[in-house]
Amino acid sequence: MSSAQRAWEWIVGKVMQLSGAMAIVFVILIFAFLLREALPLLRSASLRETLFGDTWLPTSEPPKFGMLPLLLGSLYVTVGALAISVPLGLATAAFISEVAPRRIREILKPMVEVLATIPSVVFGFLGLLLVGPWLMEVMDLPLPVFAGLGSLMLAFMAMPTIVSVAEDAIRSVPMALRENSLALGATRWQTIRRVVIPAARSGIIAGTLLGLGRAIGETMTVLMVTGNAAVIPGRLVGILRPVRTLTATIAGEMGETAYATPHYHALFMIGLILFVITFITNTIADVAVRRSGGPAR
Amino acid sequence: MKRRRVQNCVAVTACLAVGFALFVAGCGAPERTTSQIGSTTVLPLADKWRAAFNREHPEVEIALSGGGSGTGIKALISGSADIANSSREIKGKEVEQARAAGVDPVEHVVAYDGIAVILHPSNPLDTTSVEDLSAVFSGQITDWGAIGARGMGQIQVVCRDSASGTYEAFKELVITLRGKDKSRDYAPSALKQTSNQGVLALVAQTKTAIGYVGLGYLDETVKVLSVTPLGGGESVTATLENVMDGSYAISRALYCYTNGEPSGVVKEYLDWIKGSEGQAIVKELGFVPLKES
Repeated sequence: MSSAQRAWEWIVGKVMQLSGAMAIVFVILIFAFLLREALPLLRSASLRETLFGDTWLPTSEPPKFGMLPLLLGSLYVTVGALAISVPLGLATAAFISEVAPRRIREILKPMVEVLATIPSVVFGFLGLLLVGPWLMEVMDLPLPVFAGLGSLMLAFMAMPTIVSVAEDAIRSVPMALRENSLALGATRWQTIRRVVIPAARSGIIAGTLLGLGRAIGETMTVLMVTGNAAVIPGRLVGILRPVRTLTATIAGEMGETAYATPHYHALFMIGLILFVITFITNTIADVAVRRSGGPAR
Repeated sequence: MKRRRVQNCVAVTACLAVGFALFVAGCGAPERTTSQIGSTTVLPLADKWRAAFNREHPEVEIALSGGGSGTGIKALISGSADIANSSREIKGKEVEQARAAGVDPVEHVVAYDGIAVILHPSNPLDTTSVEDLSAVFSGQITDWGAIGARGMGQIQVVCRDSASGTYEAFKELVITLRGKDKSRDYAPSALKQTSNQGVLALVAQTKTAIGYVGLGYLDETVKVLSVTPLGGGESVTATLENVMDGSYAISRALYCYTNGEPSGVVKEYLDWIKGSEGQAIVKELGFVPLKES
């Protein structure tokens, strides 16, 4: 190596190191910023009132910052999305890696990945103009916007993540396991269901949690299709009623909020809650991915 | 190979540096550029104004964006906009913040806007009062029967998001009965839409819905309610004429705010807006022009 090359190597190495460090610094700074902007809320409302209050009326006099309806709204939409996307995503992943012939696999996999690149506002439009009115007609609903519609749209958005992580996990299950299972007389379906999928379990959990992170943080689509009514959803029928999610609340209200008012701090509190939720799910997913590096069990 | 890469790197850096220098220089270019930020109600209007004004004065560059009335006033206070578009009067708190930042907000009325109350076309109701509307939008009345539309079932209220000037204007003009009952607010169960078109589409699709949009957004897909003014009287339809003569109850002014009395290109532009050409556009878009034009 010439000295110029060595110098270049050194620069590139340092730049990479620096960008790696920056990522961590950014996360810490964002967290600190959220804390700084969110905590002053506690001067005007207690944490209990904020987290478990059932009325969100930030612009009334006096304002009410009960986030329970928003938390439950996000929970409904996200759980609904996972209920649709996990089975579908898992089936797709299993089909792609275990069943499909090579030609079909080579078409199917990029197609699923394309699904991930569609901007969320497009899903919002589809839901608002096509799927929502159609579902209202078919299921005789009172409204074309409701929690379940958000779930459905988010399911399509979270699916690519779930499929690609789960597929990697399934693919990394050692061939010997499959061969043994088949040699013992198990059918292909039995092999997939009882051997391959359990062995890829932690990768599948990781994919699910990453999908969950995607779903809970999604803003544009839910803002457009869930109706944005900050009410506590009823038990099961709640999925067919309008809800307001955490993210939609920030997006919908930030534009009109005067700087450093309790409402402003309340929106940052929502941001902080979202940050904590996604941080926890991503961390768990990360641990699961690392565990799935080798064969499980 | 390696050397060429270094050269490329240098070239890219040089380009970036030149670009950045141009960008900085561009920001500093005085006088013939101005920026306008704010209300989404005013946005379509401002967009037409800008285009028409540019045809006469191609050398003037007007940067325009929406974001809501509050966003516009925030931008005026922070100095990132010369003109703040607003569909509501500036709040006392915002004036305080502006003063603290050394900004003196000056108000210009540029047009009027009426808010029409809309229903699904199949709804039999034709007339209502501001008082009834207040009760409906605040959730005190939840059944169509209570305001004269029997058998329509539960009322589904559709409103704008709180980032919209129309949201505040409707709250002030209708829900709080022009400030008489400040404890009233939108019902939490109200569906919030981020645009006038969103409200329109939702009401057009939902049999039991009631909502509101700016007069300029009305179309055939919905039915418009006539409204009797506060304290009673004859019902008035939401039309340009009725907003202009002040007989329609749910109407308001649209504003531009500047820092101090405008001068230079900003003054030129605002005078043009208030003049006959600007006001012709106001009328064309379904808003209500100022009286003197």
